Amino acid sequence: MAAPSEKPVPLADQLSQPFWDAARQRRLVVQRCADCGYYNHPPRPTCDRCSSQRLEFAPVSGRGTIYTFTVMHQPSVAGFEAELPYVNIVVELEEQPMLFMVSNLPHAELDKIRIGGRVEVWFEERGPDLALAQFRPV
Amino acid sequence: MWHGKGKTAIVGIGYSELVRQSKRPLGLLALDACREAIADAGLSPRQIDGLATYPEAPFLGAGTRDGVDIVSVAWIINHLALAPDVRWYAQIETGMIAAPVIEGAHALMAGACDYVLIWRALHQPRSYGAFSAARAAGDAQFLAPFGCVGVIQSHAMAWRRYMHQYGATREHLGTFVVNSRRNANLNPRAFFYTKPMTRDDYFAARPIAEPFCLFDCDVPVEGCVALVMTSAERARDLRRPPAYIAGHGQNTVGRRSLLFYTLDDYVINGQSLAGKLWSSAGLGPADMDAAQLYDGFSPSTLYWLEAAGFCKRGEAYAFIQDGRIALEGELPVNTFGGSLSEGRLHGMGHIAEAVFQVTGRAERRQVPGAAAVCAIDGSPMMRGSGIVVTRDP
Repeated sequence: MAAPSEKPVPLADQLSQPFWDAARQRRLVVQRCADCGYYNHPPRPTCDRCSSQRLEFAPVSGRGTIYTFTVMHQPSVAGFEAELPYVNIVVELEEQPMLFMVSNLPHAELDKIRIGGRVEVWFEERGPDLALAQFRPV
Repeated sequence: MWHGKGKTAIVGIGYSELVRQSKRPLGLLALDACREAIADAGLSPRQIDGLATYPEAPFLGAGTRDGVDIVSVAWIINHLALAPDVRWYAQIETGMIAAPVIEGAHALMAGACDYVLIWRALHQPRSYGAFSAARAAGDAQFLAPFGCVGVIQSHAMAWRRYMHQYGATREHLGTFVVNSRRNANLNPRAFFYTKPMTRDDYFAARPIAEPFCLFDCDVPVEGCVALVMTSAERARDLRRPPAYIAGHGQNTVGRRSLLFYTLDDYVINGQSLAGKLWSSAGLGPADMDAAQLYDGFSPSTLYWLEAAGFCKRGEAYAFIQDGRIALEGELPVNTFGGSLSEGRLHGMGHIAEAVFQVTGRAERRQVPGAAAVCAIDGSPMMRGSGIVVTRDP
């Protein structure tokens, strides 16, 4: 029998490195436009709203609501086979409409998940150098 | 209105076998479909001097071996005895398969070639869909570590949102899926030709990505569909009645969120395509005798009904009830069974059926007197392209 596959590890790039560095320190940050204040996630070369190139990372509250979700019964990513069925949620952070992050809401009770349900960030350790911003019901 | 309206036509269609797993390499299936399309037009391969395809493999991490995983222009040139000098070709990776048809029309009108062969070949090995890279780069770095990189999740979550916003249920969606199967049962090329589906079958199907069950997902077949295009003038001398290209449109991929496709994205993108489609054809949704609307996942067709103006936003789930989209209804939709029941051909099946309908070749599925039919490919949230074909130039 094949060994269980590992979950994929995020590969930071020049735009996203500060996001992952902050996560390792258990801080949730999002790229923000220094000109118009708009949050952009994932980080972009230019601001989605005003096209400014003056972008920096700013801390966010980590609070939000479940915008939508799906319950996965078939693995779409290697490493999640043992967790089926698992949930994927899209979190809308309270800082801005349609500022989204994705989580798999570990340990959630599937039948209690609702659109609009409140969630908050926590950090899942996956090895010594990786912390993932996850969410849990409040 | 587009100055090219009615100046080019689709004049031949060919299908390979459509099976879940073929024992033959994809390139051979593509040759079957291409030869059949050329013969259907009453031409010989030596007359084909233009080629276009949308060659991309249909899933993340697919192989790129030509003739096995994909079928490129070069592969067809090397394996079919075409005109000694192919004068024009294009491989188009944006906009799905109507995009090569649109560029084929432009090439014919420009005099770049006389006969264009277009194909879409799909290889779907059993490992389809599972992201298996150890490291996730690009946008996947924010998705794959959470088990969430599939296109299916985006679609399932957008549909969940639609249900929440408008009050749609699986009961509503089931009407569409069962109607598609009923049409496929009249289509001998369809993967599910011999398999009927009841509403009970739909509700009993296993969940894949809730709220989607198995039958909300298109069936991943291996195979190829090809078509031949030429100028309206040349078309009149050929074997089959021509399906004239009346208009076309492509979407421009504007997105609200860059992490996942929202419900609003379908309106922004779908309307950008539909506006161009209708204005170029000088026709509108009310002029369509049938609509072939992409259904990679079942709700995509509902979004297209809204984005293309067949009904208002948030109303498609109600619009499709009571037989309205059935073969004998006021707007027959996906009269061949769609990708859900004919097979995943990334829109080529939709184009082929539009051609069959306006040329009176749809056999038991024929919509009486069909004179104008649209075929729109892709999901309105992502890339897409569409054409209107007509019986008369």
